[in-house]
Amino acid sequence: MNYTKNEVLIDVKEVNLTYDKVILRDINFRIQNIVRPGMNQGQVVSLIGRSGIGKTQLFKILAGLVKPNSGTVMVGVDQHPVEAGEVGIVSQNYILFNHRSVHDNLRLAMKHDSLALNDKDKDALIADYAQRFALEEHLKKYPLQLSGGQRQRVSIIQQVLTGNRFILLDEPFSGLDALMIDRVMELLTQVATLHELNTLVIVSHDVENSLAISDTAYILAKEKEKEGATITETLDLIEMGLAWNAGIREDSRFQQLVSQMKHKI
Amino acid sequence: MDTIRKIFSPLTQIKGRTSITLVVMEATAALVAWELFGQHGLIPTPSKILMAAWKIVTSAFFADNLFSSLALTFTGMGISIVVALLVSYLSLIPVFAPVARFIVKCRYLTLTGLIFLFTLLTQDGHQLKLSLLIFGIVPFFVTSLLSIIDAINVQEYELCKTLRMNNWQTLWEVVIVGRLDQVFEVMRQNFAIAWMMITMVEGLSMSEGGLGTMLIKSNKYIDLGTVFAILVIIFALGVFFDSVLKHLRHWLFPYTKLQTRA
Ligand SMILES: Nc1ncnc2c1ncn2[C@@H]1O[C@H](COP(=O)(O)OP(=O)(O)OP(=O)(O)O)[C@@H](O)[C@H]1O
Ligand SMILES: [Mg+2]
Repeated sequence: MNYTKNEVLIDVKEVNLTYDKVILRDINFRIQNIVRPGMNQGQVVSLIGRSGIGKTQLFKILAGLVKPNSGTVMVGVDQHPVEAGEVGIVSQNYILFNHRSVHDNLRLAMKHDSLALNDKDKDALIADYAQRFALEEHLKKYPLQLSGGQRQRVSIIQQVLTGNRFILLDEPFSGLDALMIDRVMELLTQVATLHELNTLVIVSHDVENSLAISDTAYILAKEKEKEGATITETLDLIEMGLAWNAGIREDSRFQQLVSQMKHKI
Repeated sequence: MDTIRKIFSPLTQIKGRTSITLVVMEATAALVAWELFGQHGLIPTPSKILMAAWKIVTSAFFADNLFSSLALTFTGMGISIVVALLVSYLSLIPVFAPVARFIVKCRYLTLTGLIFLFTLLTQDGHQLKLSLLIFGIVPFFVTSLLSIIDAINVQEYELCKTLRMNNWQTLWEVVIVGRLDQVFEVMRQNFAIAWMMITMVEGLSMSEGGLGTMLIKSNKYIDLGTVFAILVIIFALGVFFDSVLKHLRHWLFPYTKLQTRA
């Protein structure tokens, strides 16, 4: 496959987090801009681990919402320390403003000053996304009137509309049926290819679906006789020839990898 | 048969029709029992109370008294909610937080001890009643409002951050606009407190009349029929305004209807 890995976009160095006990230990990984000729190839990275291992905590550290006890998270082409708000988050329970309609929730995402669009353009943009992601009929509804999958789509689009290049997703596949999971994967792939620098970081315990959509995956697990979770394995799915393929879950090599990894988390 | 079993088992959802039937039947039973067994008792029977109530409602002075009470309640509520909202929103700014906390504690101050002071501070009976009312309700308002603010999920603030809102915009979106429907609900709940206090403060300055004044006057003449009739009128009005506020809330904030149905 023809691609290059260019500049570093996210660099996580020696991150440690302790509450009453050690949760995360020596987390190190980096995400580089992947460039493929003739297309906008964004990055999709997963952090995979068991329930309760500390994924959500790592997620919050990456988003700048929780400060680690030590270590740094650098983001962007200029590699500056992450600040809350510059990384989009789609949380485990798809938080939206319940007092606003779907349309107004999306409009809020475009309210900040760095966007120079007039109201008509903004509405047109919302209509465009709604149409692409099957939300047209739901724009006038309130979040409480949506299904889990629809709420998730609104959350993701909200973050895309804000203009966030980095979007973190906490358990994007949980609570969805097989068909919906396929739809979410399609959506994520679309988002990832909207812009060269778009970078999705998926935090999940779902080995199969996370691996299927990612170009790189990190396994988050505990090492024997050591406290706290760390990255125990890095999978370069592009090198393995398992990335960027919508039908990869049918592939026997892929299935083998999945069952191998299930034992490691 | 199935319905009968249902109404006796806990946590069962019953249909709107059934629940209305239940209310009507139980209320009728209670009134009939009261009418039958109350013939020789101290408490006047429903029919007597109803007759007395009718006489009061149709009397010439009723409208004036009613209007006086309502005007006082609504003015008091209006000023109180504005003050309480201000205090609550300001409590999010660290310098003002101690003030809010103190006001919450004022619920434990009894008004009776302060009446003398208020009498000296205010110029006339109207002002006295109004300020006592406000002083009485604001701490309850602030308490409820602060608990609403406390209950806000941090994730909502985090969402605002990712949408690049600053602290002021977040305050506006999450705390003010996002909780307006709950402010309305607090207003409805505390309306009961205001309505209860109104008869008390009206007793302190009777010159303007009001339902409370009527109540105290009939108490003096041990006219229990009239006392109960006024109580029933006060009760009915309270329930009426409660339901008006409830419907107004659903109409103003359509999404609140969704929550209760879900
Ligand atoms: N504020 C906190 N104080 C103390 N311990 C915490 C705190 N938040 C989380 N923890 C602990 O950190 C650990 C990791 O929690 P986290 O929510 O990150 O798990 P997770 O991997 O996301 O699990 P799941 O897949 O179930 O969402 C848990 O053992 C939890 O009890
Ligand atoms: Mg989690």
